[in-house]
Amino acid sequence: MSKKYAIIITLVTLAFFCVFFFWPVAGVLERAFFTESGEFTIGSTLSVLSNPIYLEGLSNAFLLGVASTLVTFLVALPLAVMSHRWVFPGKRWLTLMVLAPLVLPPFVGAVGVRHILGTEGSLNALLSTIGLVSGDNPVDWLGASKFWGIVLMNALHLYPILYMNILSSLSSLDPRMEQAAQNLGASPWTRFKKITLPLCMPGVFAGAAIVFIWSFTELGVPLVFDYTRVTPVQIYDGIKDLQGNPIPYVLVAVMLLVSVLIYFSSRVILGRSQLGHSSKTKSQSMARPLPLVHGAMVSVAFLGVFIVATIPHFGVFFLSVSEDWYGTVLPSGFTLAHYGEGLGHSQVVSSIRNSLVYALGATFLDVLLGVGIAWVIVRSTIWGRRILDAMMMLPLAVPGIVLAFGFLSLTASSGFFGFLVPASGNPAMILILAYAIRRLPFVVRAVVGGLEQSNIELEEAALSLGVTPSRSFLKISIPLIGSSLLAGAVLSFAFAMLEVSDSLMLAQQSEHFPITKAIYSLLSTLGNGHELASALGVWAMLFLALAISGGLLVVGKKGGNLFRF
Amino acid sequence: MSSITIQSLSKTYSNGTKALDTLDLKVEEGELFFLLGSSGCGKTTLLRAIAGLEDLDTGTILFGDKDVTKVPTHKREAAMVFQSYALWPHMSVGDNVAFGLEERGVRGDELVDRTLEALKGVQLDGYEDRRIDELSGGQQQRVALARALVVRPKCLLLDEPLSNLDTQLRLEMRTEIRRIVKEFGLTAVYVTHDQEEALSVADKVAVMRDGMIEQVGTPRDIYRHPSNKFVADFIGEVNTINAQVDTVVFDDHRGYSVRVVSMVGEIFQGQVTVDDWRPEAGDMVMVAIRPEAYRFDDSGDVLNQVTGKIIDSVYQGPTIQYLVLSDHGIYVQVSELNPLALRPAGQQVKLTARSNDVVMLQP
Repeated sequence: MSKKYAIIITLVTLAFFCVFFFWPVAGVLERAFFTESGEFTIGSTLSVLSNPIYLEGLSNAFLLGVASTLVTFLVALPLAVMSHRWVFPGKRWLTLMVLAPLVLPPFVGAVGVRHILGTEGSLNALLSTIGLVSGDNPVDWLGASKFWGIVLMNALHLYPILYMNILSSLSSLDPRMEQAAQNLGASPWTRFKKITLPLCMPGVFAGAAIVFIWSFTELGVPLVFDYTRVTPVQIYDGIKDLQGNPIPYVLVAVMLLVSVLIYFSSRVILGRSQLGHSSKTKSQSMARPLPLVHGAMVSVAFLGVFIVATIPHFGVFFLSVSEDWYGTVLPSGFTLAHYGEGLGHSQVVSSIRNSLVYALGATFLDVLLGVGIAWVIVRSTIWGRRILDAMMMLPLAVPGIVLAFGFLSLTASSGFFGFLVPASGNPAMILILAYAIRRLPFVVRAVVGGLEQSNIELEEAALSLGVTPSRSFLKISIPLIGSSLLAGAVLSFAFAMLEVSDSLMLAQQSEHFPITKAIYSLLSTLGNGHELASALGVWAMLFLALAISGGLLVVGKKGGNLFRF
Repeated sequence: MSSITIQSLSKTYSNGTKALDTLDLKVEEGELFFLLGSSGCGKTTLLRAIAGLEDLDTGTILFGDKDVTKVPTHKREAAMVFQSYALWPHMSVGDNVAFGLEERGVRGDELVDRTLEALKGVQLDGYEDRRIDELSGGQQQRVALARALVVRPKCLLLDEPLSNLDTQLRLEMRTEIRRIVKEFGLTAVYVTHDQEEALSVADKVAVMRDGMIEQVGTPRDIYRHPSNKFVADFIGEVNTINAQVDTVVFDDHRGYSVRVVSMVGEIFQGQVTVDDWRPEAGDMVMVAIRPEAYRFDDSGDVLNQVTGKIIDSVYQGPTIQYLVLSDHGIYVQVSELNPLALRPAGQQVKLTARSNDVVMLQP
């Protein structure tokens, strides 16, 4: 009976993945490695790899990935260790606040950063006020090092991922491991270096792999910074002449292969040994209260990270309300005119509506599929659940730009997905599907976590009292995993609202632009384009804030788990 | 209410262990039936199979005359009380109890009345609006019971329902459960590893080992007439001595009794309590005598007699348990009820047991 449902869900999911995941990816690989007549060739690969422009793009992308991951690690590790070991003033709120940058769009933040770090930006104004920089000879911070600007934006956006992964490794670590070392006379530093850190490596690497893939394939920030010598931007520029040109396909294929390789080696090499990790859910935190002064220092560190990570977004906010912001620390005048103008601007209004429709649609699809898939993985006994479980991780390993590109080539007039895009060119269906498939792992993981924590006997008790399986699922399981489900849904919604690669590539006409593409297109508009784009960015962040704080309100005390995935 | 019949039930887990091995069992209507065994013996699996929560390899389960093997859990009307209680934390006490009724389409006054009545039955009237985490362990236990009883199930299944309670409460609750089960006239299957619980509450007990049933009987049967050494060892303690049959004393309506001689010459007389085994002169048997069946005795009777000296003693309140080393070099456990004074180590003693208390087992 329940086996039947499990099999149906598995088959539906398999079909869904084959059509909307494997096929687009395979399509990209086919165009990269096969000629029009279907013969295998590495000719186009060789021509790409021998072209110094593309080689430089690839090496820049790779270095961006490596540098971003390292900086992320430097930010995340101390935060995670401090939060695991110590209790300090305001810990509950501070540990939540440092997660916020994950859902703040770096793409939007980059707009703000241009006004802070530009030649006529706040930093120079500030430095010249205190006399460190001559006003006549300003430093071009971004121009000098767009590379490190991007690294910084990536790191400030992605450190919460690593932070949460390290923290969850630390908390699942059996505290007796360290106590035993302490008992044998090891100093705190030795204990950390020789016991704690090595045992946390699987968590560190799993998080680091995701951070690497995301920054390796980041499209939005380099675009806003005009950093063109990097593969994702080269791919984006290449979509204008897709017909018959295999080069973008090859670039996408290379990005895919590198990402998949990194992702799986992070899992395979380190394995997932459970030795040293207590299987029981931890009854209480091992955190130790700090004396006031030390505690305050830790609090300040957390606050500092939060402030630095959100400076770009404050920049966006100031830009959106500025009359004029040129060569001064803060804008020289404030106005709400851009918001007023934005509401009259057809692109702004329609993009907000579009993004809401796309993101809500994708979230709905993810919840529907995710709950079913998680149920099969955790509760059913069919063999196929292992395939499902493994498959659910794949969208994390495949960069957004790869999938977006695959979808794009399939939606092209003659492509198979043509039916998903009506004659009017409305990309709603295709964007909802594209958003949904890459955010599915978050929902599945959240619900799997919830189901694993809820005692299966609660459902069995209902069955034994004569409640039908479907009613028991609705009335017992869903309410019990409600907070996990909501967490997954909010995360999925937030990421969909900020999606860059799919949005930029798949929405072609301005009336169908989602927020991110509208922002990008406004940025290249003369006049007050930047201010309008910022106003739109503030709108987007407002929606996210609403969704997340709404989620927090419902989830209540367990707020911190909202982002743990 | 209905009887439960189980025919050649088998269940193998994916790791190859046999949880149930062609097991047969019959639970009569209105019986409070105990499944007793150590952990991993398959007793919980058997209970879950009756509830319909396990996929089985082979076998049939009948409720009355009706084959329910393929009937899904929610249509079996076999309400289960879990070891963890499995109370739904997002519902109040009243909602927990009412949920099963609501799902059966009971509405309005009847719903309220039956819910309150069920709570009253477990002495929790007035608790219907409490949250689950506001209740003590014993109260949660009773909510779980009320929740199962309110739907008027065909049979009640209890999985170690008292194992999470402290001793005092456990003693109270086991009488309480028996009272409720008998009051409702329920057929109930009760899983436990606590032999004392089984002996004191059950109508009938099945002792399980390795997915098979070793013996079924009344608590008195199981204790006084264990059918093999495992059962004798599992319930209470037992002294065993290998011996050879000398003569068959009687073989009539009183049963089958033999006189045997141990390897070192002691003479025992006792009964064979299993039906399918009749040892003749020259056959080997295992003499089983409970520690409390021995008494310190100076009479001249040489039947069922062991002489030796006290090695060690353990004071247990109502009894003292002595370890005696017989003159022939065998250790014997003896318990003395309501002891006046402690017998010192080294004291020479003579122990005897009545033939009625001596059971001959298959070696």
